[in-house]
Amino acid sequence: MIDFAASADALSLLSSSLTPWLIVIPGIIIGLIFGATPGLQISMAMAIFLPMTLYMDFMQAMLFLTAIFTGGSFGSGIPAILMNIPGTSSAIATAFDGYPMARKGLHNQALGIALVSSVFGVLIGYLILFMLIQPISLMVLKLGPSEMFMVILWGMTLIASLRGEHVLKGLIAGLVGLLIGTIGFNEIGLARGTLGSFYLFDGIPVIPAMMGMFAASELFRLANKQYIVENDASRKVDLRKIATGFKTAFASPLVMLRGCLIGVFVGAVPGVGSSVSNILSYVETKRRDPDPDSFGKGNPKGIVASESANSTSEAGSMATLLALGIPGGGATAVMLAAFAMHNITGGPQFIRAQTDIVYAIIFANFAQVFFLMILGILLIPLLANIIKVPMRYLIPSVLVLAVFGSFGLTGNFVGPFTVLAFAIIGWLMRRYGYSVPAAVIGILLGAMAEKTLLHSYQISGGDISYVLERPVTLLILALLLISLFGKQAMTLIKALLQRKTSPRTVD
Amino acid sequence: MNISQKDLGHLGMLLGLAGFTLWYLSDAISVSTSVPNLLLILPVATAVLILCLAEFLTSLWRRELFAAVDDEPVREILPIILLFSAYVLTLPWLGFDLGTVLFVAIFLRMKRENNWWMVIGYSLIFGLTVALFFAFMLPYPMPMTFLPID
Repeated sequence: MIDFAASADALSLLSSSLTPWLIVIPGIIIGLIFGATPGLQISMAMAIFLPMTLYMDFMQAMLFLTAIFTGGSFGSGIPAILMNIPGTSSAIATAFDGYPMARKGLHNQALGIALVSSVFGVLIGYLILFMLIQPISLMVLKLGPSEMFMVILWGMTLIASLRGEHVLKGLIAGLVGLLIGTIGFNEIGLARGTLGSFYLFDGIPVIPAMMGMFAASELFRLANKQYIVENDASRKVDLRKIATGFKTAFASPLVMLRGCLIGVFVGAVPGVGSSVSNILSYVETKRRDPDPDSFGKGNPKGIVASESANSTSEAGSMATLLALGIPGGGATAVMLAAFAMHNITGGPQFIRAQTDIVYAIIFANFAQVFFLMILGILLIPLLANIIKVPMRYLIPSVLVLAVFGSFGLTGNFVGPFTVLAFAIIGWLMRRYGYSVPAAVIGILLGAMAEKTLLHSYQISGGDISYVLERPVTLLILALLLISLFGKQAMTLIKALLQRKTSPRTVD
Repeated sequence: MNISQKDLGHLGMLLGLAGFTLWYLSDAISVSTSVPNLLLILPVATAVLILCLAEFLTSLWRRELFAAVDDEPVREILPIILLFSAYVLTLPWLGFDLGTVLFVAIFLRMKRENNWWMVIGYSLIFGLTVALFFAFMLPYPMPMTFLPID
């Protein structure tokens, strides 16, 4: 599984010159800034700086781009925790407990937990990638559209359980989101729900919709507050408390490891990746926790689960990119462009012929983890100062950033208009107890769910028995059912067993 | 707000979601009734409509239609929503620089920032810096009134 000769070559390649390393620190800082700025995306940062890689050799270009990726994976969690704005879709679940922690004045700890979970996630992810890159690539090849649809369905249905007291409303929100996600042209060239506007032909822009629903709608609700954290004493930025967060993260090693495993394997599924993995990891952690009701109210395990999964997804998506030449998402799509710019094609042939380069990229990421840790510790106090800003300054500033960022994403006014429309929808949904995260996940996965279901239909010719021939589909379906009804089934079985074993009493 | 108004709000939200679903389903059917077109939309829309009905009936049964409604200061929130709507909708005419400066300044005044130097200074510095930053970073022109477009 591990080619030791290639490993030695990779190490000598990395240690032969300091030049490739010079661009790692700027890369991580760029990733942190873009990830932490609402509206700017990691993929946007990579695309903007892609032309610079023309002046680098392939190895250096990869180090630079993966450094941006690594920095961004933690950076996107910062606004999720401090402002309830997930920097990217991969940090959605980070906001669930990170933001409530910040509002309780536990922002230092929350940021510390996020940093350690991210660092640990990247480390474990690349370690798994180093050991299993070939088996993972083979496994991904076996995944067809029916398996991908099941993964999407798994992520979607689990969302309903996020708000236990309003399951029906959670399901309605998620399914309506799913319908909104299918607006526009579908795979067979039919346009639905566009109202004749060509701006909607490509569908609803997901990230601006997410910004509106998560950020703007929440900011409306905070309009009468003076600060994010009302208590004056709790607004301090304290390195010692950040360090406490490190300890808190390691206090849940199983949550972290589970997040890493979910992250690397779900992250390897093209198109699904970190957007689903952080949710899956969060929901699984909540489901298995003895106190599931504490989630969504500031449980540190929620941040550990989400951040460890989304950071590990980087390694998962790199596995697909390196082994198959398929990008798992926006960021790896930019990397694929860098491959092309250097006349390199990813795939099994690339792994066999250039194993030393592949290993060098993996080893370089181990080193990047330490840079991220140091830079994260240095930059957190600076970034955490955001909670000291009075709300009357913070609200318009963040709304403006969301508007500019959404314009940047779409290149026209569809972005800002989408932010506005979904801000109002999000505010109404929050007001009447509908799950905003469920709706966002639905919008995010709608088009993908329809595409994968359609492909499954085309392959099977509409014959449902096709599913029975797909063991992985059945396995994911079983996992889905266990996740949804496992607890209830166990309770029922226990009750039945107890009834059988206990002696019958006669009145 | 009394209980009946809250109930109406909740009912309106439920009707809005069901209405959107019905409209979207009919729009999709009007485009094509082929299986590939309705493969996902038809079952999901049907599920939404059933769930909306179930939510309505269970809420009636439990008599807790308004249970999930937050007691928010709507009178404070609505003006903010209106100001934000005006900002976004007038951006194509006012440009990102002028529009943003005006939005931030009006917001600060609405939230009772009495220091005029802060209102003018912050809105100008923040608005123009962000406009310049994005204009420099983004590959396409952004409408501006004062700042250069490219």
